[in-house]
Amino acid sequence: MGVNQNPLVLIDGVPGDLKMVAPQDIESIDVLKDGSAAAIYGTRGMNGVIIITTKRAGANNRTSVEYSTYASIQTIAHKLDMSTAAYMRAQIADSLRQNQLIDQGASTDWLKEITRTPVSQDHNLTIRGGNSVTNYLASLNYDNAQGLFLKSYNQVFSGRFDMNHSMFNNKLKLNVNAFSSSRKLNGFNSNDYRQAIMQNPTAPVKNPDGTWFQELTKFDYQSPVSDIMESDGQTNEVLSRYNGTVTLLPVKGLKLSALFSYSKWMQEYGYAETKQHASTLRDGRNGYAREGGAESIDRLMELTGEYSKSIAKNNFSLLAGYSYQENDYTNHSMENWNFPTDIFSWHDIGLGRAISSGDYVGLVNSYKSTTNLIGFFGRLTYNYDQRYLLMASVRKEEASQLWGANNKWGTFPAISAGWRISHEEFMSHQKIFNDLKLRIGYGVTGSQPSDLFRSVALLGYSGFVLSNGSWIQTLVPTQNANPDLKWEEKRETNIGLDFSILDGRAGGSIDLYDRQIHNLLYLFAVPSPPNLYNQTLANVGVLQNKGIEVSLNFIPVTNKNFIWNSMVNFSTNSNKLKSLSNDLYKTSTDYIRVGAIFPPIQTFSHLLKVGGSVGDFYGYKVVDIGDDPSDAANYGQWIYEGQDGKPVKYSDFGHSFEDKRVIGNGLPKYYLSWNNNFQYKNWDLAITQRGAFKFQIANLQRMMFENPTQAQYNLLKNAFDPVFGKAVLKSPVEFNSYYIENGDFWKIDNITLGYNFIKTGIKYIQSARIYVASLNTFIITGYKGIDPEVSLRNGTSTAQSGVVQVPTSGLDPGMDSPYKYPTTRTFSVGLNVNF
Amino acid sequence: MKKINHSIKIWIITFLSIPTIFLACTKLKDTSYNQIISSEFTPTSSELPALAGAAYVDWRGLLLQWNTVYRAEEVSGDEMLTPARPNGWVDGGVYRRIHEHKWTTDDDVVINIWTRAYQGITNCNRIIYEVQSSSIPVAAKDTASLIGEMKLLRASYYWMLCDIYGNVPIVDRFDVPAGYLPVQNTRKEVYDFIVSDLIDNIPKVTDEVSTKTYGKFNKWAGLTLLAKMYLNAQVYTGTPEWEKCKAVCDTIINFANSTGKFILEPNQKNVFVTENENSKEIIFALPFDSKYVNDWNSFDVHMQTLEPENQKTYNLQSSPWGGVCAIPQFINTFDPDDSRLTDNFIMGQQYTASGDSIFGTMGAFVGKPLAYRNYVPGVDQSEEVDGYRLGKFEIAMGATNRLSNDWPLFRYADVLMMKAECLLRTGDANGAAALVTQVRERDFKSDPAKAVVTGVQLLKGSSYDYGLRSHLDSTFEGGADIQYGRFLDELGWEFNQEARRRTDMIRFGVFTTKSWLSHSPNGDYRALFPIPTTEIDKNSNLKQNPGY
Repeated sequence: MGVNQNPLVLIDGVPGDLKMVAPQDIESIDVLKDGSAAAIYGTRGMNGVIIITTKRAGANNRTSVEYSTYASIQTIAHKLDMSTAAYMRAQIADSLRQNQLIDQGASTDWLKEITRTPVSQDHNLTIRGGNSVTNYLASLNYDNAQGLFLKSYNQVFSGRFDMNHSMFNNKLKLNVNAFSSSRKLNGFNSNDYRQAIMQNPTAPVKNPDGTWFQELTKFDYQSPVSDIMESDGQTNEVLSRYNGTVTLLPVKGLKLSALFSYSKWMQEYGYAETKQHASTLRDGRNGYAREGGAESIDRLMELTGEYSKSIAKNNFSLLAGYSYQENDYTNHSMENWNFPTDIFSWHDIGLGRAISSGDYVGLVNSYKSTTNLIGFFGRLTYNYDQRYLLMASVRKEEASQLWGANNKWGTFPAISAGWRISHEEFMSHQKIFNDLKLRIGYGVTGSQPSDLFRSVALLGYSGFVLSNGSWIQTLVPTQNANPDLKWEEKRETNIGLDFSILDGRAGGSIDLYDRQIHNLLYLFAVPSPPNLYNQTLANVGVLQNKGIEVSLNFIPVTNKNFIWNSMVNFSTNSNKLKSLSNDLYKTSTDYIRVGAIFPPIQTFSHLLKVGGSVGDFYGYKVVDIGDDPSDAANYGQWIYEGQDGKPVKYSDFGHSFEDKRVIGNGLPKYYLSWNNNFQYKNWDLAITQRGAFKFQIANLQRMMFENPTQAQYNLLKNAFDPVFGKAVLKSPVEFNSYYIENGDFWKIDNITLGYNFIKTGIKYIQSARIYVASLNTFIITGYKGIDPEVSLRNGTSTAQSGVVQVPTSGLDPGMDSPYKYPTTRTFSVGLNVNF
Repeated sequence: MKKINHSIKIWIITFLSIPTIFLACTKLKDTSYNQIISSEFTPTSSELPALAGAAYVDWRGLLLQWNTVYRAEEVSGDEMLTPARPNGWVDGGVYRRIHEHKWTTDDDVVINIWTRAYQGITNCNRIIYEVQSSSIPVAAKDTASLIGEMKLLRASYYWMLCDIYGNVPIVDRFDVPAGYLPVQNTRKEVYDFIVSDLIDNIPKVTDEVSTKTYGKFNKWAGLTLLAKMYLNAQVYTGTPEWEKCKAVCDTIINFANSTGKFILEPNQKNVFVTENENSKEIIFALPFDSKYVNDWNSFDVHMQTLEPENQKTYNLQSSPWGGVCAIPQFINTFDPDDSRLTDNFIMGQQYTASGDSIFGTMGAFVGKPLAYRNYVPGVDQSEEVDGYRLGKFEIAMGATNRLSNDWPLFRYADVLMMKAECLLRTGDANGAAALVTQVRERDFKSDPAKAVVTGVQLLKGSSYDYGLRSHLDSTFEGGADIQYGRFLDELGWEFNQEARRRTDMIRFGVFTTKSWLSHSPNGDYRALFPIPTTEIDKNSNLKQNPGY
């Protein structure tokens, strides 16, 4: 819950981004999930570390050139089953529904009108050369992807240069690395997808005179085709990164290295709407434009020294280091409207009258923040005869987000031990295990708050007040300062067993982990008065997360022509909120309400109880539906389970907090993935599959679009079907168990079939490969929504009215937003050529 | 070997000394670019209005933002309701619960009024503390009046808490000891605290009525508040204070008569137009300006009451949300010649700004004329033409989703009516009738005789046709049995839509005893709102109000 939500990505030892390396350049990827392994990386390693090693030139002194390209198209994998024009007319003819949506005489598939079959292409050229003393890599990449929705696209052109050189008899090693990318894109407004779903299927796209058909007097309703066609936007981004690493090995056993990195990201964007857009036709904007930009500069310096020594069978190594990282971020934006003409788009934004009229406040903005992170770390590793292994490390960090706090330093120790059982004397005669290793570890990583200056008293410019005839902006304290704020800590204990048997034909690892997050950072409710505000960011509570991960790989078949490689990953996870109070903050209740649902519901969605699991949906439990036409107040209305467990009729139901109960859980209990690679002579086939089991999803799409009281918008085909076969629903939109569905699924994701040309017969081509692939190929699930792989974070709740939205991330999983647009299936064909 | 060891030592020492240099580099970034770090800030006198004005801001949110005093006072009463509309307005049943007096202890309305009122109180206490400890630079001659003004403002926040919840904690200091949790007081203790703070501090503030004191608590705003406390004393404490109320009203009326600073506007509408800051009927207002007060929902009565199609009537910058409307039984109490009926309510066929008829787009009225009619089937269902809409506050052409009309919290007509009520309740019905007639004169210009009310008429019951009146049920209770019911009607005709109906209905014994539209009485304990469960969760000193 702190600032770190993402894992640390290291590219050849330098912190970076997955965007910075083309997939074709990756040699290997290692993932460190183990807390003790990640602890040395400090707060950045809290969510795990992904170590990417890029391909290097070999020692054969040959310069190789590799060109790879692929092209792909996408289709929508699964759509909502909304009414078509024909279906709606049939329902009206059968008197199943009245004509709240006026029949405008046409038949339109609105989703089809705003989507297309997007085509994407990617080209990559990599030159690798050198020898063991000096080697280099240079690559260029061009990626042009069309978006599924009209006018959306993403084009990237990037280049990477990497060079290694060793001098003085390998005593001094230098690495220089530069990466630069230039990106141009136009995004997609998810509101247009929502409008496409809601639009009247009998409405035409255009009027006979060629203008867009609109029904703008309807609330929150506008033609999505017009929205897309009468607006334009573009975002440009440039990212440049330069790294240098110097490694000195002055004497045997001693290695000193220094890493310097500078990266700069710049963005500028623009967006405009013409005078035919709904914003003018309905809201009187008379043309609209906005533009802005942002810049983020990161500087990193890391100094480490490592000393290794071996005495007899004892091998030691000691590492010490210092790390400094800083970030400068700025952004600026402005918006304007009321233009004399809309033909200049956002390129002459000063022509708009809104800013110069002085009638509006807040049209021009800028922002700046600077942060830094400082750490000292040390690590000792020891092994005896490669059989008994021990590692201990500690990292002390301070972050500027905790400036002014009493405990701004965080200490992150880790210790782990391993026993390579297979190397023991008593194991030398057995033939089963080729490799068997037992490991156990404990590590602490931390996370700091994402906002700055939470520990100290702040004043800010707030609401306006009329003072002696003029409006002035008041200056008020903006938060409850908490000088006791400190690092959120994740303490992880891990026991694992790695094994390999049958001469490497099978192997795997089993891990048991227990993660406890202490000092959870959360906006805790406090009484006001005496506090300035009724929420304080504090470290409160303990959240526990434990489970088992089993990873197996085996080669069921291997012979001269055919190899079959298989990998299975299984994990199970349980989590529990262990406590919610500490010595400073106590509640008399043992729960927190989490998550938020958009209008017209406007309440929380999950409840996190002490002793309970993360992800419990909290709402009303549906028992039945009123089906007695003579009981007009309850006919077609939900019958809920009351506080005593007995059914309560709708007109008697209080809709209070006590009437809610746990109606499902959004976090899967089990994850399973099964990946297979087949090779037959020159053919290769790879299939990845995965699934998640024992969890529920809140199908908010059905909640909104299956409710016939919303008949002024388009609805799902089954909205007028009687609920439970008894009565058509008359209740308003409510968050209840009828819309909580099991989300269990099995997905066959990536299928790639390739053919390798080992001997091409052409003189200069060393090897080549062509392949076809599909992504998101099949899914087997009972879930009625678009895709059961729902993001763990509910990012789409917005409030129309002043309902306080509790900011959460990860604590309200499983909400399948009604505005989430469809996932796609991708088909691609590609070619790699090595010269 | 020795040589190598020596080299190692040199290298290690050299290397370790590098970070030692950088150990100095443990300085964290400490510059804030959008908020001021308090410890580095020393205010000057030019910042005084910005610092001291902060406590007034919270009143706007307390009165008008979403699900707050306005809803609690009006949607719970017999003047207006928010029925389920074809486009929504169910929001988990909260408006229906307010109408049926079935609100829960954690409904938004219950939570918001508490948090917003106490936000204002905390700001007042903080500013008083900062002035007394000289953290805010105030000239010595102004200190007493500024502290006095803050205490009057604080008393006004406590007035809302006293009226809505009754038994709330009194916190009158900012510098409380660590670990302090407020202790709950009784309603009478809160009333006594408010009255004594008002009496002590009214003499300390200015009696000037000008642009300088507009929107701020001066002597007259303080006196009007004191009169309101005395008017409702019997409800708050059990002991009526009609004579004291009358005396305070007389002080204000004498000032108005002798200086002409407060008058009755010749048109009631003048008090509620967009540019109403110069109205001499206003004694204390909450100023609004859509440019500067731009929180979402800061003042959006027009968005809540008009249907989306009305966007074209006023060329509004966004579509209204269509919901709140007047209860037909209330509209039926108006004399057809009372100009307040047409001035305060939007009814009949709706037109665009250029005069074209507007048609409905939802439910059963798709394609049919959008003409608001005085009929509502029930709180559980309605069409988009049902119910007259709220039009007391002028809706400016081209308005955003926020109005710029100032909200008149205290106005001169109220002072006259408060005195009239006290006269009526202490046996002088004729004296009361004369004042009521004075207030009514501007509303019966087409038939001046109808403006006249006699003492005998004023002693009668209410003409409100109380009883259930929905598509499910009809009962007939009537209002003839209400003591001084006619006066309650006069209050309704003059002060509807001004966020005070519930308070008036309680004072006349009607709020928890009569039925209207879909509402049946749900218990006398409902005259008080419950203490929010979220607050009891945080502070174990708080006990829930009886009945909940």
